Amino acid sequence: MLTLIRREIRDHIVYFIAAVVFSAILIALLTAAAYHFESSESAVFVGLSIPMLVILVLGFSAMGVTQMYLDRNRRISAFLSALPVTRSRILTARIVAGLLAILIVLVPLAIAAIILGRLIAPPIPIFAGYIADILTTIFLMVLACYCLGLLTGWTANKIAPTFGALGLNLVLVSLVFVKGFGPDIKFLLVLVIVACLIRTWHKFMSTSL
Amino acid sequence: MDDNVIKVENLVKYFDGRCVLDGINLTVPRGCIYGLLGRNGAGKTTIIRILLGTEPATRGRTLLLDTESTNLSPGIRGRIGCVAEGHNLIQNYRVNRIIKLCKDLALHWNDESFDHLIETFRLPMDRRVKDLSMGMRAQLNLSLAMAIDPELLILDDPTLGLDTVARRQFLELAIEVIQKQGRTILFCSHILSDVERIADRIGILAAGKLVVDCPLEQLKERVKKLRIIFPESPPENLYLTEIVNQQIHGREMTVTVANWNKQKQSILETFKPSSCTEIPMSLEDIFIECTRPGTEPV
Repeated sequence: MLTLIRREIRDHIVYFIAAVVFSAILIALLTAAAYHFESSESAVFVGLSIPMLVILVLGFSAMGVTQMYLDRNRRISAFLSALPVTRSRILTARIVAGLLAILIVLVPLAIAAIILGRLIAPPIPIFAGYIADILTTIFLMVLACYCLGLLTGWTANKIAPTFGALGLNLVLVSLVFVKGFGPDIKFLLVLVIVACLIRTWHKFMSTSL
Repeated sequence: MDDNVIKVENLVKYFDGRCVLDGINLTVPRGCIYGLLGRNGAGKTTIIRILLGTEPATRGRTLLLDTESTNLSPGIRGRIGCVAEGHNLIQNYRVNRIIKLCKDLALHWNDESFDHLIETFRLPMDRRVKDLSMGMRAQLNLSLAMAIDPELLILDDPTLGLDTVARRQFLELAIEVIQKQGRTILFCSHILSDVERIADRIGILAAGKLVVDCPLEQLKERVKKLRIIFPESPPENLYLTEIVNQQIHGREMTVTVANWNKQKQSILETFKPSSCTEIPMSLEDIFIECTRPGTEPV
């Protein structure tokens, strides 16, 4: 399994490097916003972080699409399945690699948010709750878009995964911006993740390689 | 434990409503070198893909090493070496990376045998697979398949695109494997002389059916091509069963018959032919006769 995860990471190393860069940018924006907490500049930094989040979401969706699309068109799984590997392991390794990339962005961001919260924000429990809510929703949103990418990427057609994933991602992101970070949106995102993973799993396990 | 390494039971496969495999039954015993033949699109690769679990069957059952193809565990897969048609390797990987990947995933890796093969083939380790020639890809694929000391080796048109020297090298290597006891090989190829050289059992696929499935020597014994000259025009019907093919040119009739025996010879003699001579048949001749449209199973 570790070999398969290593292979996924190495094959999509660009996304992992981009994840590190994005994490650094988001931490910088968060720090800048926190240090200008009481001034009007804070809104500028918060405003800047929104397009960055959209790019982040689309980036992870693109990662899911790339993983599946390249596999199908370069017949990577067809080659791997002639080795002592099962399809379920190939797909599990792929999802683990995607999760790792997401965590590379979000774990440092979460740590930075907690530290900044302790240093700067007033000692009111509601702030800790906000941070947890926002980070959980961002995690679920990114994961949902990544899973949508996995689902739409398993095709030989180039247009379907590009526009299909893009459209669905924009719908999800808009929903989060409209509904906020409450439990209902989290529930919806979990539903999307579960549905996408089940469908991807079924497609990947049953189609010809 | 069953002594059949490969078992195919009533296998049916449809592609877009077109029947490609129509109730195939096939067994390959341990230690056998099975040559699976058929024209382009006959379904050879489909059988192999179904056996390896990369293609779902419409109906029927396939087993490799006593395990259903759909449930092949890594442990079972680790005992099977495979050279796929078109040498399906990851094209953008360098040779050394693909070797490392296969080595890391393998349950058993014979370094000595692998290094020997790589030295023999002189494969450039730092080149990308897509930059290798077809012959080099075949050699790399074969080396990877052999390095795991497979109990079962599945070769799908492995010599496709190879020059004569590379093909000879490949066959010698295959013979080397055969000499190691207990190894089973399923071998598909269009180069019938190659199959004739190494196979001890032959299966011929035609129109979705397995029209021949018997040992090579038995096949050559069973299928006879006769040139019969009659004093006058030949009879329309010879009343012989299992006629694979029949052609008439003037007083001459050429008949290919399966399961030729004394009884059939006596029936033929009742027509009082002027002469009856046997035309020697190579595997290629038998293949051509057996894959004509409308041929009955031999």
